[in-house]
Amino acid sequence: MTEIHPTPEALERFVLGQLAAPEMREIARHLLTGCRQCHEATGSLWDSSDDADDLLDLALEAAGDEELPEPGYDEVLDRVFERMASAEAVVVEQRAAGCRLFDELMQIPAERRHLLVSNSQRFRHRMLCERLLEASYDVGFEDPAEAVDVAQLATLVADRLRPEECGGQECLYSLRARAWAHLGNAFRISLDLASAERAFARAEALLDEGGVALVDRGRVLDLLASLRKDQRRFAEALQLLDRVAALHKRLGQWSLLGRTFLQKANVCGEAGDGEGEIRLLRRALDLIDPQADPRVFLAARHNLINALHESGRSREAFALLFHTRPLYLKAGDRMNLLRLRWLEGAVALGLQRCEQAEAAFREVREGFIELGLDYDAALVSLDLAGAYAEQGRLTDVRRVAEETLAIFQARNTHQEAMAALLALCSAARLDQAGVELVREVAGFLKRARTNPDLPFVSTAGNPTVHG
Amino acid sequence: MSTLDQPQVATSLEGFLERVRPRLKALFIHYRIPPQDTEDLLQQALLVLVYQSAEIRDPEAWLLGTVRNKCLLYWRARRRTLYDSVDTTVLEHVAGPIGPSQERTALRRDLASAMEHLPERCRSLLALRYRQGYEPPELAERLGYSQASISKITNRCLAALTRYMTLLGAGPKKVRDD
Repeated sequence: MTEIHPTPEALERFVLGQLAAPEMREIARHLLTGCRQCHEATGSLWDSSDDADDLLDLALEAAGDEELPEPGYDEVLDRVFERMASAEAVVVEQRAAGCRLFDELMQIPAERRHLLVSNSQRFRHRMLCERLLEASYDVGFEDPAEAVDVAQLATLVADRLRPEECGGQECLYSLRARAWAHLGNAFRISLDLASAERAFARAEALLDEGGVALVDRGRVLDLLASLRKDQRRFAEALQLLDRVAALHKRLGQWSLLGRTFLQKANVCGEAGDGEGEIRLLRRALDLIDPQADPRVFLAARHNLINALHESGRSREAFALLFHTRPLYLKAGDRMNLLRLRWLEGAVALGLQRCEQAEAAFREVREGFIELGLDYDAALVSLDLAGAYAEQGRLTDVRRVAEETLAIFQARNTHQEAMAALLALCSAARLDQAGVELVREVAGFLKRARTNPDLPFVSTAGNPTVHG
Repeated sequence: MSTLDQPQVATSLEGFLERVRPRLKALFIHYRIPPQDTEDLLQQALLVLVYQSAEIRDPEAWLLGTVRNKCLLYWRARRRTLYDSVDTTVLEHVAGPIGPSQERTALRRDLASAMEHLPERCRSLLALRYRQGYEPPELAERLGYSQASISKITNRCLAALTRYMTLLGAGPKKVRDD
């Protein structure tokens, strides 16, 4: 058997893995004998599948200039392009249909939506799923419970779709992975980290099975990194974001790469690596397109100013804030203007302009209270307490600390945050609430926001208090 | 608004596709994807582009990057079939009752000769697999790899053996341990 050489065609099909199993095995056995003649033939075939980036780049550059002699591709491209022209029109119609189904679904009482999606064929619609994912993400921070409900509907739809209903197996797996990741993200925002973990496990299992488009793989990993950040598993969050960055690079999505650097910077900031945060924010700002992504660009600038201020470079922060103010005003919404004012207060405090800082913090606190954003109001109140502490106004520190504690007690949430505020109040009553303790409690409240179980342990010389 | 409608890219899908046609062809030629296999590969990439245009910032770079990745995956899948065939062949001949014992002896000799040219860790792994009949979980335990990584490592070793068989021949050169 081994003395009869396979034909060149059979060898080529062997390397391509295209032969039937018995023939594959027969040729494998023949090659194992070390047949030089056949090695020469298969060796040249093997080279063709290797990734030679430099050669490829040259080929792509030359592609526009010369006629390529390879036959067969044009016919295939013609056929696929023609199909895509029809597909584009169908997708536009499907998108409109998805929006109609979404509106219909949202008018139904929440408790009946799941039943309807489970039982009605009409709601098994790819674009409805896309619309639900969009809605879940948009509503996330305003109404976390609604975001969870909507994302659950999206997973219900995605799990019921068949490949032919959404453009093939890859599209279906990608959609499912994204739906489960969005559900995980909605749970994360709702502070239900255990449920978030379970939802992300489903999304990751789909990634492991393969067949998920790179763009969706990036989205899933990106959302998972946010969960890891909230869990304070910073090294894992950074590793995930490195994978996302590699995907964006591979796909030439530079603006999205900038966004990923912005997220990495946030992780570094949370992990206490201020210099790393500043370096990444500068890289992000080089890549984010301010015309295409004005809000993301503003967020990166905002974070950079804050990071500069927090690392003691308040003059630099002040200069950048001056140049960034027009962007806040252009964004124009109340939240962005409040954030601007808050940052102005913080930078003013860093420059020892305590009165300016105090005025800004008061204004922002009123704004957050009006909007019902109690946690943000509490955070800015502690900055206000910090401004008082800087000036030695301990009675004002005590008053602000007690007002802030009252907000948390009224809501009866965030037990550890209450414990931190109790510690501050106790110290303030003894006129011992110094700048360090106020900063420590403020820093803790920022961290505990996404991790309510984080225990408060004071290191500023005050006794630990548990609520 | 569809990303494809943005001013920095072509004004229509049709125009965009015509513009990227030469580069797509260059990619397929470079990776030597048989024309009949390019159809599904390209269609899958374009469908994602059409469905998710809003999330894609630079459609041309995205499409070329995606198709390039698909070409690599295409070869990876092909190669996996190839590695599986080599693995099955060796297992059937070495361990199974198929074939006369003279042929089995010859194959064992050829296999031993091929394995001499492989990196040390592949020699250990394949020796346990083909001589002792170890399954992946036992290989992981015996060689100290995690259960999660053993199939990847086995695959790499099979790749090294297949590469040796199809590319390097019976010469003195060693396969790189990568």
